[in-house]
Amino acid sequence: MSAVIFLGLRLALVICLYAFLSLAFFALWQSIRQQGKVLAARKVPPLHLVVQTPGQSPLSLHFTQDEFTIGRDKTCDVSIADEMVSAQHARLSFHHGQWWLQDLNSTNGTFLNAEKVIAPTVITSGDEIRCGSSLIALQVAESNLERVQPRPKI
Amino acid sequence: MTDRLQNRLLILAGGMLFLYALGLTLSPAVQTRLWPTALRWTHWLALAGWALIFALANQQTQQWLADRDPYILPATALLSGWGLLTVWRLSPSFGLRQTIWIGFAGLVLIAGLRLPATLDFLRRYKYVLLTGGLLLTALTLVLGTNPAGIGPRLWLGCCGIYIQPSEPLKLLLVIYLAAYLADHPNARLRGSGFLTPTFVLSGTALILLLVQRDLGTASIFICLQAAMLYLATGKKRVLFFSAATLFLAGVVGYFFVDIVRLRLNAWLDPWTDPAGSGYQIIQSLLAVANGGILGRGPGLGSPGLVPVAHSDFIFAAIAEETGLLGSSALLATMALLVTRGFHIALRASGHFRRLLAGGLSTYLAIQAILIVGGTLRLLPLTGITLPFVSYGGTSLLSGFLAALFLLIISNNEENTPAPLNHPKPYVLLNSLLLLGIGASMLVNGWWAVVRGPDLLTRTDNPRRALADRYVRRGSLLDRNGSGITVTRGQTGSFRRVYLYPQLAPVVGYTQPTYGQAGLEASLDPYLRGLEGNPARLIWWHHLLYGQPPPGLDVRLSIDLKLQKRADELLGKHSGALVLVNAANGEILAMASHPTYNPGVLESIGQELLSAKDSPFLNRAVQSTYPPGTALGPFLLTATYNDLPALPSSLWLRINGAQADCLHPPSEAAPTWNYAAQNGCPAAVHALGSQIGTGGLLSLYDRLGFYTVPQVRLPAAAVSERQIKTTPGTAALGLNGLKISPLQMALAAAALSNDGLRPAPHLVLAVNTPEQGWVVLPPSQEAVRVYPAGAAQDAIKTLINGEQPYWQAGGRSLPAKEAYTWYVGGSLPNWQGVPVAVAVLLEEDNPYLAEYIGQAVLQAALNQ
Repeated sequence: MSAVIFLGLRLALVICLYAFLSLAFFALWQSIRQQGKVLAARKVPPLHLVVQTPGQSPLSLHFTQDEFTIGRDKTCDVSIADEMVSAQHARLSFHHGQWWLQDLNSTNGTFLNAEKVIAPTVITSGDEIRCGSSLIALQVAESNLERVQPRPKI
Repeated sequence: MTDRLQNRLLILAGGMLFLYALGLTLSPAVQTRLWPTALRWTHWLALAGWALIFALANQQTQQWLADRDPYILPATALLSGWGLLTVWRLSPSFGLRQTIWIGFAGLVLIAGLRLPATLDFLRRYKYVLLTGGLLLTALTLVLGTNPAGIGPRLWLGCCGIYIQPSEPLKLLLVIYLAAYLADHPNARLRGSGFLTPTFVLSGTALILLLVQRDLGTASIFICLQAAMLYLATGKKRVLFFSAATLFLAGVVGYFFVDIVRLRLNAWLDPWTDPAGSGYQIIQSLLAVANGGILGRGPGLGSPGLVPVAHSDFIFAAIAEETGLLGSSALLATMALLVTRGFHIALRASGHFRRLLAGGLSTYLAIQAILIVGGTLRLLPLTGITLPFVSYGGTSLLSGFLAALFLLIISNNEENTPAPLNHPKPYVLLNSLLLLGIGASMLVNGWWAVVRGPDLLTRTDNPRRALADRYVRRGSLLDRNGSGITVTRGQTGSFRRVYLYPQLAPVVGYTQPTYGQAGLEASLDPYLRGLEGNPARLIWWHHLLYGQPPPGLDVRLSIDLKLQKRADELLGKHSGALVLVNAANGEILAMASHPTYNPGVLESIGQELLSAKDSPFLNRAVQSTYPPGTALGPFLLTATYNDLPALPSSLWLRINGAQADCLHPPSEAAPTWNYAAQNGCPAAVHALGSQIGTGGLLSLYDRLGFYTVPQVRLPAAAVSERQIKTTPGTAALGLNGLKISPLQMALAAAALSNDGLRPAPHLVLAVNTPEQGWVVLPPSQEAVRVYPAGAAQDAIKTLINGEQPYWQAGGRSLPAKEAYTWYVGGSLPNWQGVPVAVAVLLEEDNPYLAEYIGQAVLQAALNQ
């Protein structure tokens, strides 16, 4: 008789053990799923640029990705035919809910609203960036920004 | 969310441990199958200590580290609690020490939660710390001891507290490497000598460990260094190079270092030396096999049989008591811990923290894989601890510190992971370690399920002898139901009682040290209840108790009254006697002298084994003897209608010695009657010549001299079927033919049974619970030796006066190794049970042989 009770006890023990593991792995799976949902829901506010290079017609560009580079090089997302612009001049990237401007050690420097950019700097709608002799006017599509939430912890 | 998950996981871990402790309390009742009985209670103290510490740690982590990883603490709690209860179950005194150590390590963890700056302190003083650790380890060279008294001296101790410096040394190495590699982020593998200090320090550590012969820790060092260099540089060749180094070290060690060779041999082939170098690993595998899928339950396995089960082999103990399900869950928890460790590393806020988290996870995983792999014969055995689970204060403290560091690193409030140049090493290393843990699970399943049933039938499985104390073993009964060998006592103290010890060479013994012999060995499946019982009963008993159901009684054909008479008559003379029922071949008595008492095997077994007169030998079946002139009656019957003339002189000169008839003739003119009864050499020679070589071969065939008699007893091999000498010499048994007394008795039965030689039959029936007594038929067929009627006339010439039986004698020729035979049997017209007998004496004593044979025949015929 005692052995039958004991058998029940052994089964309960195994069930408890696997409940522990199931809960742990279920919680893991859930957090991964949630993170994926959040990432999918997160939209980068599109950036609208108007590049004005002296002697050239203004170039209007629209970006929806979260990172792009400015430079003279053809591989740059914003390629400017300006002798004063370095090959890899500056980078615009979206993180922590903001668009950031970062100088990439350019020869002639990057200027935001006439101030030299040393560390990565937050940009807002209406800002003007100067690389070499080119001027870039920025417009951030505000409507999307509200949907962006801080990244959840996993 | 984090707090809730951690609470729930901890509650489930506590619930599992509560059930384990409850099982441990009830286990004595299940084991003795009695209720009420003395239950176990002391281990609840350990559980209370564990609960207290982790409740406090839970509350404190929620207070101080709001953003910590919620899996680390529950995994630590489950593993350490499980280990604690297992250690307590194996040895309460070790369990008490482990409880105190868990309390201490838990308090250190709780205190550390308030001091997140510890990590920066560790980073700054990396050289001091590692050098300090090395000095402590070096100190063991001079002052080292071993708490167990024997074995490698890796501990420092005083006043009953021992620490093993090599345990924290691994932790210090991880801290040092993390700090150093974080300080030199852009270093390359080659040139600039940036790794020199690292190699100097870890090289020193390695040499120290090698001198100490702490090979397990040394291999962990190499693995850790490789893993951390790989994490920091992202160069795969670091891993290949380290693997090659380990392999090379193994090969060199195999040829030049004894302990390495010993370990590797025991790993590659433990089966050749199961009592020596392979002992630990085989016992460990037996424990895993005994666990099966569900395990025997807390407190109900016999993990104490595995050496150092509380420390190095604790995984085997856990596998035995909680089965494949339990041990897989343990490994999965370990995998969870390691994977979360790597996750923490990826999310860490700085290079040092990231490398530290990666290194700590690797440290826990490698240590677990090495010792679990060693326990399961996946890897060579290295004497290290299973983190959090094994007994050992220093190991426990190191594990808790690693958990503490992981908790602190995971508490990255800003949630801004530092940039990472090579994410691949973290993913790859984590996958590799998970692969190792997964392989351990698979191998665990292999031993527990696939190979388990075979392993458990090994004779060096001590659980079988143990089961004999708890499960009634079937009795061996004589043909009338009187006990020959029975089991007496109660569950837990069953013992085998040999009521008729003189039969020992036949029925054998079952004994923990000497194993089994005779019928006890060949009938073991019935006596142990594994055969003859319904399959579901066996399954149910295995599930409930891990032991077979009660054994079945077996009835033998032996008649104890006749057996007793035979044993009295043989007395102190070396020889054998077989009395059979001539009609159906049932063996009524089988005596082999000298005999022994299996009841006192424990104390005098060694003496008996080396005794000159080999009492263990069953002379009736296992020994063969030259038949000599005793074949006279068989030859006479074969050629009875065509008898040659009786030679004028009945003696012969063989090899220069004169061979005579057994008894001098009473009449002036000897007859065939006299010559065949007394084994007169010249007469037997004449009979042989008359039959011829081909006739002799076919006669011997039919008499069963070239067939091993099957009576579930080990029997001697039969002689080769050939005659190279003249048939006359062959008839005298000079051609190398040897037969056992059982073969002789069966041949004699053919004469009493009208020419039909019966098949031998010793084990008659087994008493099954469902069908009652089930007959076990003989495994051979009866063979016709002589045409019906032929034997009846012939044996009439072998009667003396009014005796109700025929008889004849003979002796081996030449008489250098003197053996005397006597054969006899009932007459064809006998109304009772027809019998036949063969007596063999290992001396030249025809009078005694005849006396014994006649007395046994009279006893059998007068019944």
